[in-house]
Amino acid sequence: MPATFIHRSILTVGFLSLFHAAYSAAQHRSYLRLNDLDFTHLPLDIFIQTLISLFIIMYGVLQVAGDFKEIKASADLEDRTWETYRNIPSFYTFSHRGGKCSQLASKSGLEEIE
Amino acid sequence: MATKVKNEPFVAYSESAIRNNLSIVEYCRTSVAAVSGCTAGVLGLTGLYGALFFIVAVTGFWFMLLGKAGIDSWKKFFISRKSLLINGIFGHFFTYILCWTFIYGMVHVY
Repeated sequence: MPATFIHRSILTVGFLSLFHAAYSAAQHRSYLRLNDLDFTHLPLDIFIQTLISLFIIMYGVLQVAGDFKEIKASADLEDRTWETYRNIPSFYTFSHRGGKCSQLASKSGLEEIE
Repeated sequence: MATKVKNEPFVAYSESAIRNNLSIVEYCRTSVAAVSGCTAGVLGLTGLYGALFFIVAVTGFWFMLLGKAGIDSWKKFFISRKSLLINGIFGHFFTYILCWTFIYGMVHVY
């Protein structure tokens, strides 16, 4: 399953969500500073959003990075048929008698028609 | 141990496939180190909590990786699953610290 548009959009959503959480945390911090309060911990919603966006990004990266290949050397030989091995491109011949014969045949055919 | 090795049949591995898989894993783990560093910075973790969070994030990613490869079929794609967790973890830890301190400074200090 190669990387699709859905996976890329999941990744984008994760990054946007993480950025939003970071911005919220910065705002919370400036709120504390303005009210002369001490920082003890983040609000729970920002905390949860940050963690969830981390896992969304992990999933997105994993899907976008690509697919694993089987490491056994015989893995991609198993689904080939006998025809694939009998096919040898170096022995292809294109200038054989078939062309001449079909030319003659078509000429005589034409003459017969005329 | 020796008898165990003797009993296993010889398997030929495709080098390009191994390299492909490991490069995918490396890419993901670098990204995860950077992003979990950003997360730790946003959360405002300090000291050993940050290191613990790194361990948790990397282990969580390891499970997701095994989940993608298949719980039973990871042997088709990787030779050892322990090396997926351990390899180059200190290099990733420095990436993590870089992002952690940067984002911590951006969010909580300034």
